[in-house]
Amino acid sequence: MELDFLATLLLSSLSSAAILLIATVGLAVMFGLMGVINLAHGEFIMFGAYATLFATQIGIPYPLAIIFATIVTAIFGGIVELLIIRRLYGRIFDTLLATWGLSLVLYQSAVLIFGTVTPGIGLPISNIQIGDYSLSVYLLFLILVAVVLIGSLYWLLTKTSYGITARAAIQDRETASAVGVESARINTMTFALGSGLAGFAGAILLPAIPATPNMGFAFVIKAFLAVVAAGPVTLTGTVAVGSTLGMVGNITASFWTSVVGDIVFFLLTITILRIFPLGISGRWRMKL
Amino acid sequence: MTNRLMPNFERVWSQNYKFVCLVMLALAISLVAVTQVRADDEIKVGSIFDLTGGLNIYGIQQSQALHLAVNNINDNGGVLGQQLQVVEYDAQSELAKFTQYTNTIILRDQIDVLFAGLTSSSREAMRPIVRKNNIPYFYSALYEGGACDKQTFITGASASQQMSVLIEWAIKEYGPKIYIMAPDYNFGTISAHWIDHYAKEYGGEVVGSDFLALTVTDYSPTIQKIQAAKPDFVAALPVGANQTGFLEQFAAAGLKEKMGIVSTNYGSGNQQVVVSPDAGEGIVASQEYFMWIDEPNNEPFKAKWEAAYSLDEPIISEAADVWNAVHIWAKAVEVAGTTDSDAVIAALESGISFDGPNGTVTMQPGSHHLKQNIYIVRGNRTHGFDVIQTFESVAPSFEDQVCDLIANPDTAEHFTPADL
Repeated sequence: MELDFLATLLLSSLSSAAILLIATVGLAVMFGLMGVINLAHGEFIMFGAYATLFATQIGIPYPLAIIFATIVTAIFGGIVELLIIRRLYGRIFDTLLATWGLSLVLYQSAVLIFGTVTPGIGLPISNIQIGDYSLSVYLLFLILVAVVLIGSLYWLLTKTSYGITARAAIQDRETASAVGVESARINTMTFALGSGLAGFAGAILLPAIPATPNMGFAFVIKAFLAVVAAGPVTLTGTVAVGSTLGMVGNITASFWTSVVGDIVFFLLTITILRIFPLGISGRWRMKL
Repeated sequence: MTNRLMPNFERVWSQNYKFVCLVMLALAISLVAVTQVRADDEIKVGSIFDLTGGLNIYGIQQSQALHLAVNNINDNGGVLGQQLQVVEYDAQSELAKFTQYTNTIILRDQIDVLFAGLTSSSREAMRPIVRKNNIPYFYSALYEGGACDKQTFITGASASQQMSVLIEWAIKEYGPKIYIMAPDYNFGTISAHWIDHYAKEYGGEVVGSDFLALTVTDYSPTIQKIQAAKPDFVAALPVGANQTGFLEQFAAAGLKEKMGIVSTNYGSGNQQVVVSPDAGEGIVASQEYFMWIDEPNNEPFKAKWEAAYSLDEPIISEAADVWNAVHIWAKAVEVAGTTDSDAVIAALESGISFDGPNGTVTMQPGSHHLKQNIYIVRGNRTHGFDVIQTFESVAPSFEDQVCDLIANPDTAEHFTPADL
């Protein structure tokens, strides 16, 4: 096996892991901090992608369009929380049903508003050469994005007063309320944060994965598995599980086929859940 | 509850059964009479396409083309002096809905002809139902080829039809070594078989292949394998929106400067609109229709389409396939002088042709497939295509070879290249 092949394999598997993490982290925040399973997560990603597309079409440069999309999706998420999710706390199956319904509404709305095909924005055509192989610079850049994203999220949830109150509200709602934490407002903010992260994912992945009404479907299955296998220590757990699954899936797909890659991905998830029924972080003593 | 109700019901029944039977008989007779009257003054055209769900990138335009063709025929006096009436159902991109609505549309709506389906699986679900009820059925989409059934007529191009000209052209243009990227179901695997078949025929060689699920979004493993195999060109058959991302990632990795990329289905779902100019430029495709072809009937067709819908979204080949299908059927009904299925099928098997937007197309009597032009085009920077070469009246050679419904009218098969 040549060295250049192994080097590109390592980098491309890291970029696969980065894509999975970027697409998953919003779901991890919602599920981990609020216990809400958002079946419309994929459609929130799609929402972010279309928001970015809309922004670039009216002349906003792409980097600013990403920020625009993140904020718009976060605001949209906040509204969804106020109108729907708020009424269903503690009713997990009702939440599943409501968010699934929401995903159908969002999907069909996208078809009606944007049609079934919309011009994408395309990946920058720049690549690096390693021996016989070349790799897209943008996909490597996504590794950096994932690292910065996870780092700032960790900082936000452990060092800021919002993060501390958000975690307090989920650990012990009554005590938190007694000391003056307004848990309803905190929940709206957390849901908006999770939605904003989904919107960011749609925006940053848009060059590689064109915006279409059903794009969310491709992400949500693996994102869910990663979050469930991660367990209660949401953020660290998701990073550990997500990057492992993403890399292993990519490497097996590189040696055999993507079908084998998917089989290994699912088998690994099943194995993790068999050994750690509460998720891999079930006994960890970490905060997040 | 039941115990108390049953004797009661039985008593009513035994006392009044003659009356109840009479009422039911009267209802049945009037229903038959109503249907008869309705069937006499209009001809019913059935339509089942995916108007919602993931496949509506094809289904909406198929349905639009059907309505446009029916209106066009009605404006010119209808068929046999009668107006056509469309009965339409939305299959919602769900296979089960095709079976359900095909039964409904035949048994309840009593259609005279059916235009339906995009995926091969949907066609295979409907084929036995139209066969049992003896209703002419038109399938209008490019596909892997080989469907052979007395009631089924196919107006899209088959894989062998597109592939024979494309692979020969690409080997001459780029060189003999081919890598195949295809979706992991029968369209992809059978098409891959044809690539291999024609590669051998024209002195090429398949150096690798990757079959991908429709949910894959990250193509770095495939791109890695392509670079390891070092082909002269890639035969890519991306289906659905996610696989469009492959073209983007292929271009971004810088592979377009190193090798060619050809496809039989790129453009059929307007993928050239979604990909960026950098990724779309230079992709070579081959199909039976592109909006940019220069044919005498294409301009009037586009003008009608623009007046009815707009050309913001380019017209896809499946739309032209449906347009041709409706007109060929209408012509056959005129020849037969009746909508009676056996007579219409016989007329369709008389070597009927039609001047469509993609030139003259001819229904092959034996195989029920069209002999039609195949265009090789190259993607440009404006989300469109430039025609490189036109292959006139390409015969569906594989289907003509394995399927002869005149000699063997009872054939009901889906032939695969293994039958060769």
